[in-house]
Amino acid sequence: MERVDHAAAVTDSELIERIAGGDRTAFEELYGRYARAVLGLALRRLGDRGRAEDATQEAFVSIWRSARTYDPRRGAGAPWLYAVARNAITDGLRRRPEPTAELQDGPGDEPGPAERAESSWAAWQVHRALEVLPDHERPVIELAYWRGLSQSEIAKELDLPLGTVKTRTRSALARLAGVLEGELE
Amino acid sequence: MSERHPDFDELVGPDLDASERERLRRVHDALLAAGPPPDLGPRLGEPPVPSADVVPLAPRRRRRIALVALAAALAVAVFAGGFAAGSRHATPQAVRSVSMTGTPLAGRASASLALFGVDAAGNWPMKLSVDGLAPSTSGRPYELWLTRHGRLVALCGSFVPKAQGTTVVPMNAPYRLTEYDGWVVVEEGSTAPVLSTA
Repeated sequence: MERVDHAAAVTDSELIERIAGGDRTAFEELYGRYARAVLGLALRRLGDRGRAEDATQEAFVSIWRSARTYDPRRGAGAPWLYAVARNAITDGLRRRPEPTAELQDGPGDEPGPAERAESSWAAWQVHRALEVLPDHERPVIELAYWRGLSQSEIAKELDLPLGTVKTRTRSALARLAGVLEGELE
Repeated sequence: MSERHPDFDELVGPDLDASERERLRRVHDALLAAGPPPDLGPRLGEPPVPSADVVPLAPRRRRRIALVALAAALAVAVFAGGFAAGSRHATPQAVRSVSMTGTPLAGRASASLALFGVDAAGNWPMKLSVDGLAPSTSGRPYELWLTRHGRLVALCGSFVPKAQGTTVVPMNAPYRLTEYDGWVVVEEGSTAPVLSTA
């Protein structure tokens, strides 16, 4: 629960402002909140794990360096972080272009830039929201959604009563709904 | 990621009211659409260590006043030093000169970097001369970085170019230069070079 209390006590905006003052602890806290979201964004954009890891490191260096340009009156921390990370990933892509791929015939079924941007932003928000779940709630969501386990299987996997798994699952979904409120309308 | 999607009804149970059920359904759909966040792996287990410290800036007006005062003080010091030294010391000779060319972001820009001998404190005094680089449209200064394998690694200083003519900026790098393989100039807050040695 310490993680949630801490997350509730210090907003992203406050962390960015502390980073602008050279606070390494705030930088590490922000990294813990956003590293997976940034890597996910980089993977979707670049496709290659090695290049995405490079881009993630560059994105956080960019966040460190740009923190003093952040103005909390102009918006929350998450969109600013998303913009800085996305720009760093794009800059990295320009410096190290993707290997030439064979062109496909016809337009294909790939989503367009607008759809890609929208889904990237939505995934960013969801992945960021997952980081605020307490340590005892996150596993039930991950096992249910990304390993496809039933509630009974999760109870067995985590050695918990089935009722506890159900309570934690519903609580986690409600917590995520609270974090994402207004963004999934 | 498993192809088996969780059963929403099993996850939330039957006793939710309609509005709460709809609220959780949106989260359920968002989780499925987002997919799993990637594992960080060993390389990203710790945050990167930015090599240049962030220097908290004073408010702009105070900063400008401070810069003017600093420039005036430097001018007086340089004049007084030069006067006192007279002709006893010749102008220091660069031990190395590095040429930089504009990238597509600043095709007309060029620069040269004169490195002088390492001083007693182990620093490299440098003089950066920049031509053809317009002040950034954002108003942010440019930065000179040392690079390694195409990455910005060590910050050497920042400057605002003059709108016309050559901008000459003294800098000082307290680094072991052999650890790096190039130099770039970027706009503050960006990683895209406008000048590079590549």
